[in-house]
Amino acid sequence: MDTLLAVVADAFTPFHLSMMLAGVVIGLIIGAMPGLSSNLGIALMLPMTFGMDPISALILLTSLYTSAIYGGSFSAILLHTPGTSASAATAIDGFALTRKGEFNKAIRISTFASVVGGLSSAIALLAIAPPLSLLSLKFGPAEYFWLAVFGISVIGTLASGNMIKGLVSGAVGVAISTVGLDLDSGYPRFTFGFYDLQGGIGFVPAVIGLFSLSQALLMCEKPHNTIQEVDPTSGGKWRLLPTWAELKFTQATIWRSSIIGIIIGILPGAGGDIGSWTAYNEAKRFSKNDPDFGKGSIRGIAASESANNATTGGAIIPLLTLGIPGSPSAAILLGALVLHGMQPGRTLFTEHAHFTYTVCVGFLIANLVMGFVGMAMCRYMGVVARLPNTILIIAVTVLSIVGSYSLGNNIYDVYTMMAFGIIGYLMRKTGFSAAPMVLGMILGPLAEQGFRQAVQLADGPVLLHMVANPISWVLVSLIVLSVGSAAWLELSRSKLTDVMAEK
Amino acid sequence: MTFRISHIAIAAAAGFSAVALLSAGVEPARAEFPDKNLTLIVPYGAGGGTDIGARLLAKDLDPLIKQPVIVQNITGGGGWTGWGTLAAAKPDGYTLGLLNAPSFYMGYLDPKLGRKERLESFTPLINHVIDYVVVTVPPGSPYKSLKELVEAAKAKPGSISITAHGVGGDEHLAIMALERMTGAKFKVVHNKATPESKAQVLGNHVQVLACNLSEIVTEVKDNQLRVLGVMSPTKSRFLPESPTFKEQGYDLEASVSRGIAGPAGLPKDVEAKLVEWLDKVVTSKEHQDKADSLFLELRSIKGDAYRKFLKDNEQTVKDLMGW
Repeated sequence: MDTLLAVVADAFTPFHLSMMLAGVVIGLIIGAMPGLSSNLGIALMLPMTFGMDPISALILLTSLYTSAIYGGSFSAILLHTPGTSASAATAIDGFALTRKGEFNKAIRISTFASVVGGLSSAIALLAIAPPLSLLSLKFGPAEYFWLAVFGISVIGTLASGNMIKGLVSGAVGVAISTVGLDLDSGYPRFTFGFYDLQGGIGFVPAVIGLFSLSQALLMCEKPHNTIQEVDPTSGGKWRLLPTWAELKFTQATIWRSSIIGIIIGILPGAGGDIGSWTAYNEAKRFSKNDPDFGKGSIRGIAASESANNATTGGAIIPLLTLGIPGSPSAAILLGALVLHGMQPGRTLFTEHAHFTYTVCVGFLIANLVMGFVGMAMCRYMGVVARLPNTILIIAVTVLSIVGSYSLGNNIYDVYTMMAFGIIGYLMRKTGFSAAPMVLGMILGPLAEQGFRQAVQLADGPVLLHMVANPISWVLVSLIVLSVGSAAWLELSRSKLTDVMAEK
Repeated sequence: MTFRISHIAIAAAAGFSAVALLSAGVEPARAEFPDKNLTLIVPYGAGGGTDIGARLLAKDLDPLIKQPVIVQNITGGGGWTGWGTLAAAKPDGYTLGLLNAPSFYMGYLDPKLGRKERLESFTPLINHVIDYVVVTVPPGSPYKSLKELVEAAKAKPGSISITAHGVGGDEHLAIMALERMTGAKFKVVHNKATPESKAQVLGNHVQVLACNLSEIVTEVKDNQLRVLGVMSPTKSRFLPESPTFKEQGYDLEASVSRGIAGPAGLPKDVEAKLVEWLDKVVTSKEHQDKADSLFLELRSIKGDAYRKFLKDNEQTVKDLMGW
């Protein structure tokens, strides 16, 4: 017990608290700027931690990690410009609320959900990291394939009301993800002789284009309007915590999404992007009776934001126990850990237990600090929603360009972003949703790699290999349920319209 | 559509001015080299292995040349956006970059990719890091030695799965060299990065893990992985108990190496100065200690020797890949 006390006391020393605050503030700023991701933030801060003791360094970096993921929601909600690709799903409902004058409500829910997501993942990290980390080993190629197919199977439901357009958008997304050098054969697929396409079409520039630049183009249509179309409602007033009604409405979504986020976080290679979209899909499925979903429901925000922050702690779990980072950002944290002389594995929980648990407790507190700092900033940010579009068009365009360029100092990323901006604009004008396309771009490669490796690894019939593991059975049943229910819904809906048409 | 031209123009103007600002270059003035900051191009993203090594080097080079060394990550095209930028940079010594062998050969050797640059498009200055390929298995694996593994792969060709990270990458080349030497045949499973491969092997989805030594030292010390062989000329000081391939009768070496290069045609005096400074950093005790914490082996190979080292490596890749 005294070790626990020592850990908590150490986490609360003024220097460690100031590291948390620094990490949170830097993370919020980096997160809110489109294109500046949590990866970049951690990588840039890493050299500055060389002179620090390991505990302070890791507290700083993990605080930055979780708060950058949260910070992405600010610009997503305010400007339909996701600050990180993990908050793209937040833009859908968040921006709709801002237009209705309920910016404060949207940020309030996003903050609360992010804090709960982050806290639950921190608690999972503190309490049950070693057994949970084994999950990352249970997922082989076949399981990844089914997981990706399950994600893809919800595309039909994701495109509110128009399944065909959703499927088209999703298929185009999958097709886009195949561009570039194929890992297995070394073959340059669909590059048409352009060197720049050999590395594939950048995911982050594409998301910035689809969501941010397309928004700037839409705003060009009504230059003298403001984002906020009506005066703030009572729900639009600033308050620190959600109202009781808001809590009741979102609590189930937040818990479910946090668990989804933690699990996705643990899986190697899958981070905040996949976490937030998967949770958003699930929330959509559970919100059949919520007509606002996708058009300004706080459940949409709650799902995406609790899940993406829950991936942060989740991604650290296999990192500490196995040295396998659960997300790209965690991979950079692994570098930081090793640079500070801490080797992942058992010794972190025995010999270096004080270090490990102090960092975890620090991470937990940082999630609370993040909530307060975020809500304090929120008070002054709502003004953006009342600025004329003329100003915002310029701001969003410049941020989109600088953001996509700063990813890798590559002008080609800017061209990608611009092309997707125009595509995104045309899609929005013709009723296609960008969400399935983004999902296709994320999950396409996961499904492809999983399938090809599973085929390669199968001794005997491929199908038997694909369902050899109980995890696969569960995933396959979920896919059947998901596709079945979507088809049934669509059928009954069209029958209904047929009947109505006859009358 | 109610489109107003003036506002599209504003957006476009804002966009173009931002692009112009970003791509504007700075003209150097020639004086005692270096009289301004150096740029070190890292062709991969921030936070990766190449980036961390480069930043360590830049930090230690700073005080020596009394000018800031700025690390610039130029990503894309499997590293070639960065290497292309380096090859096209003004050969004045102010733009340097990291060269990763064998990763960078593929872009111009593979006719399908058709880059026009060659090894001769660069001025190799010094090798920095060398990280050998290592073949490991989980503790429960039936294979206790390299020989057992090779024999099993010969008895049932293509039945044993082993990880690699892309066609033409160091692990893939190492596996092909082993196959060619012994007549064994493996089932090569490519992943994007080592963590994924590690999870697949620790989770018993794939049988053998081939990766770089620095990536598994901890797991080996933790008894989570067992080394069958290291593809280095002598035993690694990070894993002094692990046998090399050579000791087991397989005379093979394979590694990934990272060094510093400039564009072709650097002035001789600038080249000599840079090599001298870089060598001082790479061989310094302080720098070595930092690299040790990352299990990275530093190996200073200077100037013409480095050029020859890269050329020999290039030949190996050509032979193995048939390019």
